[in-house]
Amino acid sequence: MWRSTPRSLAEEQSRLSGHTIEDLNDYLDRGRTPSDSSIDDSPACTVALTRLERLRAALRRVDSAAVDREAERTDGWVATIIDSIRLETRAGRRIPLTSDSPVARLALTEGAVIGVLRTAGDGIDGILISRCRLEGDVTEPGEPITVRLDVSVGTDGMNTGESVRDLTARLRAAVYAVLVQQTELTIAAVDITVTDLYLTTALPTSEGEADE
Amino acid sequence: MTTVTRLAVPSALDAASDALLADRAADGDVRAFEVLVRRHGPLMRVHATRILGSNDETDDVVQESFITAWRQLPTLENGAAVKSWLMRICGRKSIDRVRARRDHADITETDAAAPATLTPHHVAETQEQAEALARCLAELPDDQRRCWTLRELGEYSYTDIAEELDLPVSTVRGLLARARKTLLRELEDWR
Repeated sequence: MWRSTPRSLAEEQSRLSGHTIEDLNDYLDRGRTPSDSSIDDSPACTVALTRLERLRAALRRVDSAAVDREAERTDGWVATIIDSIRLETRAGRRIPLTSDSPVARLALTEGAVIGVLRTAGDGIDGILISRCRLEGDVTEPGEPITVRLDVSVGTDGMNTGESVRDLTARLRAAVYAVLVQQTELTIAAVDITVTDLYLTTALPTSEGEADE
Repeated sequence: MTTVTRLAVPSALDAASDALLADRAADGDVRAFEVLVRRHGPLMRVHATRILGSNDETDDVVQESFITAWRQLPTLENGAAVKSWLMRICGRKSIDRVRARRDHADITETDAAAPATLTPHHVAETQEQAEALARCLAELPDDQRRCWTLRELGEYSYTDIAEELDLPVSTVRGLLARARKTLLRELEDWR
């Protein structure tokens, strides 16, 4: 097995114009900046740098082949993971619902409401809700609540002639409708922030149906 | 053949950014989390296997990593960094396993199991250089291979590796240098 002895190190340095393989590897890690003429002008260093780069390229191929093999596994490892995390839902606060019975208490979890809002957003082509917050005291009936949504908008989901504003208006309406239908929250506002905008030059298709 | 219990349903989420998926998963979206598992799980499996030295415990380590990630996602500030964050969790869990194994066996493993052959195996002519290199990597002494994978797959700095493995930085540099030397020699042999 190879051992770094002082002598072999000295030999290496004399062969590589005073540098070691480690120096050269660090140089590559730094992206060869700032440039070092004592390395760049040395033929021996240039050869060594080429070898190191060939090694890096070869190992990248090794790594990506290994990752590809793992990605092709069909033994259900993903399902096992998902099944185990599904047991740990993010409930959040309790959002009360009025009940006909004076002795029964009924409530939705905040997590469930956020889930429904996400689904409402996903129902609109071109919209993906990333973050969703219910601001205000949802546990207190009648308290004004502001819904804050961070969304990603892809213009491929827009109907012909539709703007980002139109698309988010559709989202706002859908979110409002689902909240009125499923909860008793008093919605003060639905604030939407577009955090990502994907502009694709989609060809106009016949699917651009005129809704509303 | 095992039955495929879940088929990936193509959805807009498959093409979504890590940042968006991490935000949604932090809000409790299991589907977004599943996309992250499919996207980064394979790399984490490779990482764990290399640190552990075999794939016997890979399933467990990767599953534990994702459960931890699911619980801690709401504390991740920058969703765009979810990949390296997952790799850190996975690296740490793998190292914990190795430590537990070592405590149990009560042996010092430093350089204990240098493989008998570091020179190319008798490989069929059709085998790719990459295969030989992969084997060479797999057969590096444990501590060298661990440093190497933390550096190359985990994208750790030398200092981070030193901290994670509880070694002096100089030792980490030395281990990486030896690993590099061995791999370079393997590459030359396949010229």
